[in-house]
Amino acid sequence: MAARLLLRSAVRAAAACRSVRTPALSRSMAAGGIPTDEEQATGLEKVIMKAMKHGEDPFNMMKPKHYAGSKADPHLVPSITNKRIVGCVCEEDNTAVVWFWLHEGEAQRCPSCGAHYKLVPHELPH
Amino acid sequence: MAHQVHAYHMVDPSPWPLTGAVGALLLTSGLAIWMHFHNMTLLALGLILLLLTMYQWWRDIVREGTFQGHHTPPVQKGLRYGMILFITSEVFFFLGFFWAFYHSSLAPTPELGGCWPPTGITPLDPFEVPLLNTAVLLASGVTVTWAHHSIMEGHRKEAIQSLTLTILLGFYFTFLQAMEYYEAPFTIADGVYGSTFFVATGFHGLHVIIGSTFLAICLLRQVLYHFTSEHHFGFEAAAWYWHFVDVVWLFLYISIYWWGS
Repeated sequence: MAARLLLRSAVRAAAACRSVRTPALSRSMAAGGIPTDEEQATGLEKVIMKAMKHGEDPFNMMKPKHYAGSKADPHLVPSITNKRIVGCVCEEDNTAVVWFWLHEGEAQRCPSCGAHYKLVPHELPH
Repeated sequence: MAHQVHAYHMVDPSPWPLTGAVGALLLTSGLAIWMHFHNMTLLALGLILLLLTMYQWWRDIVREGTFQGHHTPPVQKGLRYGMILFITSEVFFFLGFFWAFYHSSLAPTPELGGCWPPTGITPLDPFEVPLLNTAVLLASGVTVTWAHHSIMEGHRKEAIQSLTLTILLGFYFTFLQAMEYYEAPFTIADGVYGSTFFVATGFHGLHVIIGSTFLAICLLRQVLYHFTSEHHFGFEAAAWYWHFVDVVWLFLYISIYWWGS
């Protein structure tokens, strides 16, 4: 037990000495020996990590942004092609969803509640 | 590379679910054949097939996650739910054996002498090796938490040391329990006391071995730099499983070893 505590404080002291020389790196291969996601992430995980750092959500992991749905502030609907299906839940807890195709160009209105929707081109990272 | 509009992982076709199912079939039928006709061929075949399946399936998951980057945040979330649901199912598995124990011990029948422990049974002293086993598992819970924090803080050497210590404590528990099994004055055939004792503690011991193996795989992966300070779910899953094993032991100790003595 005492040996372990001694070892731990020795490791911490050594790490402190190291971190003085490289103040920017508190966690990395250079500092502690365990890589970070920044250093080692790959594939789709890396793509998503980079996008999230720039505040982007190319794979729609997050809840869509909230818009008023008016002419001045239409719902912006991202699409990788020139049309996308929209399902409008006109009022909260409505069980009948109003489905329609949203085409690129001028904003369209929901045939039931009149909310404005506008297609926005969306690039897929590849 | 990623020609998909979503962050999920559509897995490539794999033979391991089929080989696993066939292996499970051979294992179970092999067990029955061994018990009735004294032939271990089918059992051995099933065991080998199952072990090969586990090795290759989990190896593929490591390749997909660590080397190919398929374990995005929503995928990891799904894996977390999966592990939690699996551990929950194991909780219910043990609940059954505790039910059996309490059913027999709360109202002991006249055949047992109307008392618990039953007449003729000398239970193990809960304050000897079982108490040491409790301390060993609790300590291993501390060391595995230490390992987790080491990983999160980026300390490779500490992580390897604390994870190794955890596994050694797990082996120590298994060794002590094996000694207890050998030296016990009663057997599984000694009435309902023997049945409930050895089935409950036996399955727990099996889970300790499984948990230790899982942790050992994590140690290997940590040495090979698979884990990052943010993304190390394989280790977290092993730690959750290990804590579950520890909690089951605490219930076993309180119910069977202490109250039941």
